[in-house]
Amino acid sequence: MIDKSRPAPIGRVVATELKPATPHQFHFWTAVETSIGIGAIVKVEEGVGRVVYGVVTDGFAYSDLQTPLHDVVGAEGDPVRAAESPTVRQEIRLWTAAVLRQVPEEPLQPVPLARVFVATDADVAQALRMDTYLTGAQPTGIPVGLYTSGGLEAPVYLDADFLLGPEAAHLNLSGVSGLATKTSAVEFLLASIFEHFPKHKGRVAAVCFNVKGPDLCFLDQPGALTDEDLRRYERLGVAPRPFERVRYFAPYKGDGVNLNTLRTHPDLVSDVEPLVWGLAEVLDFAEVLLNRDDIDAKADAFIDFLADRVLNREFDDPLAGRHRVETFADLDRLFRSIFDALELSGRGDMWRTHHVATIRKVRNRLSNVSTRCKGLVTDDGPASDLPWGRFEDRAVYVVDIANVDPLGQDLVFARVVSRLREGLERRELGVDAVVVFVDELNKYAPADGPDTYVKKMLLDISERGRYLGLVLFGAEQFRSQVHRRVVGNAGSQIYGRMDMDELATPAYQVLSPATKIKLATLPVGELMVRHPHFTQPIFVRFPRPPVLRGRDGVERFAPAADLPFAEAVARQLWRLDRAVRPNTVRDLVDGRDEQDVRRALAETRRRRPDDVLAYFRKVLGSRVAPDAARERAAVPPLGAITDEPY
Amino acid sequence: MARAWIEALLAAGVTPATFVPDASQGRFDQEPVERAAADVLEDAELATHAVSGAAGPPPAAFLDGIQQWRVVGYDGVVPIVRAYVAAAVRRRGVDKRLRTALEAAREFAVAPLAALGGEQRAALEAHIDVVDLPDLAPSQPGPVLEAARRAVDGARQTLERALAERALRLLGEREWLIVDGLLSVSGKLAAHPRALGVIKSFGTQFFEGEALRRALTLAMGQRTSVFRARGGHARNDVYSWYLRLWPWEGNDLLYGLLRIEARAAEETIAAAGGVSSWLLGERAPVSTPDARWDRLLYPIHDVETYLRSRAPRDFLPASGSRLPRTGT
Ligand SMILES: Nc1ncnc2c1ncn2[C@@H]1O[C@H](COP(=O)(O)OP(=O)(O)OP(=O)(O)O)[C@@H](O)[C@H]1O
Ligand SMILES: [Mg+2]
Repeated sequence: MIDKSRPAPIGRVVATELKPATPHQFHFWTAVETSIGIGAIVKVEEGVGRVVYGVVTDGFAYSDLQTPLHDVVGAEGDPVRAAESPTVRQEIRLWTAAVLRQVPEEPLQPVPLARVFVATDADVAQALRMDTYLTGAQPTGIPVGLYTSGGLEAPVYLDADFLLGPEAAHLNLSGVSGLATKTSAVEFLLASIFEHFPKHKGRVAAVCFNVKGPDLCFLDQPGALTDEDLRRYERLGVAPRPFERVRYFAPYKGDGVNLNTLRTHPDLVSDVEPLVWGLAEVLDFAEVLLNRDDIDAKADAFIDFLADRVLNREFDDPLAGRHRVETFADLDRLFRSIFDALELSGRGDMWRTHHVATIRKVRNRLSNVSTRCKGLVTDDGPASDLPWGRFEDRAVYVVDIANVDPLGQDLVFARVVSRLREGLERRELGVDAVVVFVDELNKYAPADGPDTYVKKMLLDISERGRYLGLVLFGAEQFRSQVHRRVVGNAGSQIYGRMDMDELATPAYQVLSPATKIKLATLPVGELMVRHPHFTQPIFVRFPRPPVLRGRDGVERFAPAADLPFAEAVARQLWRLDRAVRPNTVRDLVDGRDEQDVRRALAETRRRRPDDVLAYFRKVLGSRVAPDAARERAAVPPLGAITDEPY
Repeated sequence: MARAWIEALLAAGVTPATFVPDASQGRFDQEPVERAAADVLEDAELATHAVSGAAGPPPAAFLDGIQQWRVVGYDGVVPIVRAYVAAAVRRRGVDKRLRTALEAAREFAVAPLAALGGEQRAALEAHIDVVDLPDLAPSQPGPVLEAARRAVDGARQTLERALAERALRLLGEREWLIVDGLLSVSGKLAAHPRALGVIKSFGTQFFEGEALRRALTLAMGQRTSVFRARGGHARNDVYSWYLRLWPWEGNDLLYGLLRIEARAAEETIAAAGGVSSWLLGERAPVSTPDARWDRLLYPIHDVETYLRSRAPRDFLPASGSRLPRTGT
């Protein structure tokens, strides 16, 4: 704890013609033994009047030795004797500090050649301009970590208005794998946000895309915390508890019944909900299918035609005949009828103003989706989706796409982010702000590489999200290799342990060599934070996240092996109704077409009837009725990624 | 240089001046050149002894002084000098760092009072402690400045002596006091069992012929026999010997040569070898960039640096040119 009782100066500002004090930088010396280090916050004060706060960015030690040769001469070339010399030379600890804040701010003047003190709690708040948002009628501070220096520590807060909009928004985290604690920092910060999100800003939720193994699969389970962690939680005013409301969504595997996630341990799998979309959902995002390689207005028009005129309607065509298209299989039947009819009639290459080549192309793309994203896209049956419109306050929605094909990931990002945006725009999502966490931006928003839909979505959030309350928390190993408008729009940045080569790139030129060294050797649990209110980067420590680490999670809750088809169906029905007997289900399913079974299962899950087994049996016998024709909620098109400056 | 007394002088009609004589910055390092007697005590005649390898030193404190002066005005042709002398004792801790234990400083004016006009003299005496230069024949400034130099030198020595005597009372049981310069200037210093004078100038000639040759051509790490230094300017009897810190061949005869003074007592003869051994150890760290680094022990250099850093800044020669000033 910082003791305010008897402040004694720890140093003094010095200035020479070569190293003058300026309004933005100054130098000071301290005793050789000092608690000051790189990143320490200091206060310069002499009498009343001007007070300057600074952060130490560099340190120098030297003695009165004029040239190294003289040391050799004195020791007669023998290092052992050098250590034995009876007097140690006069030496200095000289520090360079960057100005964080001057009080008064006007007129802006060089730092006075005055006494230097270590900063107290109150000084840290002043220095980082936190006083402007920690006090007042509606404080907006979100604890991010503890500033620690020489046994003294003070909580550091981010301003919710600048972290989560509307003033600024988005957070970018970078640092090397395993040591930078990027994922951990996001988990802690989400806990902190949920606890400290200001009342007047309303309801908040998080949507986390799990893109790496079991990373985010155990957010509802407590993690191991040390006493030191608990002390930090206490000091930061955050409860060391896992998230209370977490919902997991994962597509099926190729078999359509086993979930494609690592959260399949029998104790936990029950709260993983399948993420399954049908033809309608896919057609809404036709752009995703087409934008990968080409932009084709004709294909677009044809997809629009399918969505508006064919899907879920009685469609009667003089050439192709009567069709009701609800599924991919139905659609393929229509396509085949069209091709056959065109061939038979010899009436050329056009069908209803659409060229046969365009039709073939769209057919290829769609069948591509249904094969590559089997498990996410069902060929039949109803969809199962995030609870649009019913998002809960302080809830985390984990969407597990770690093992999904890139095309499927594109589709999930596109659909989830678009729906979030629409929901927030129309204020009908259920919450006022959503944090979207996307890890591995090096993969999803690389500086170069193809313009995937994921990248477009990330750019869209980055550039337009803050007015809507749609906030991106993105993490990556190499910030310099992420699209510059994605990182550039992040109002706040967190750096964990950094790679030296990365630090050598031009983006880090503003950091002093000492700060870079500190970043390259940063211990686990310490972060460098940049935030609009802080004029200089600040180092903070944070506790381990309050949740079970992914890799500990898969050890404690080992994923279950995939079940045989009939078994998996039985298990899912049993989850709806504990009275369901596996043997009965096995007998029912035996010999039936798997597609029919999946459809019946999905329908049963959707309806949640009182008598699960009876309903399932009934549906299995008949064809499932589709939803009534619905409004098409197509994505507003996004502009192509351009190089316009942000 | 907004000193009240200088303002008062100027008001009394003294012509302002800023003249920093060449010899005024350092202390005057030349011993008065004279012959002195020496009785060799350790051997039958002055011999050389190899000093055993550099030993770790006992606890020690170091004393040095500085002096600075400049002409601040002329009453007619009579210079008025402003002077500053200071001395300090810095003690070496177990961490091998030096810390100030004692220090004293004095600022004063020097002038031949009788030669000043009445008003000017009154203005001077009213504002500052003045050291008079009596009995000076009226002359050009040269001889007055030489007399002023001696007066400042004397004031520095007096300050050093007083400080040294205070330091002796503070010394720990095994602690030594090492003084830059003659030990024989003070009876108390000269009588103390653990006080050493380290002399790095050779104005006094104790030997001649073969003995002189031996003394001045010591090889590195050698010392002479202990001898009694008698007469000359020495006011108190001390024992003494020469010690070579660095090889002089290829440099100069006096390069790395020290003369050590210690108490005139039997024990000094027995201790000379041991003392020389740890003094040899004081070669490192070398006290560059001082030009006298071959003979200037680093701790003494450190005391001097300390004193200079505390001295008034306006004694230093102005960095600008001496061209006539323009404007107001
Ligand atoms: N505050 C903390 N103090 C100490 N250790 C921590 C802290 N936070 C996280 N850790 C540990 O650091 C390790 C790495 O954390 P994390 O997985 O968050 O890193 P990452 O940067 O996301 O790595 P990757 O790039 O591989 O995803 C974990 O073992 C975690 O337990
Ligand atoms: Mg991670």
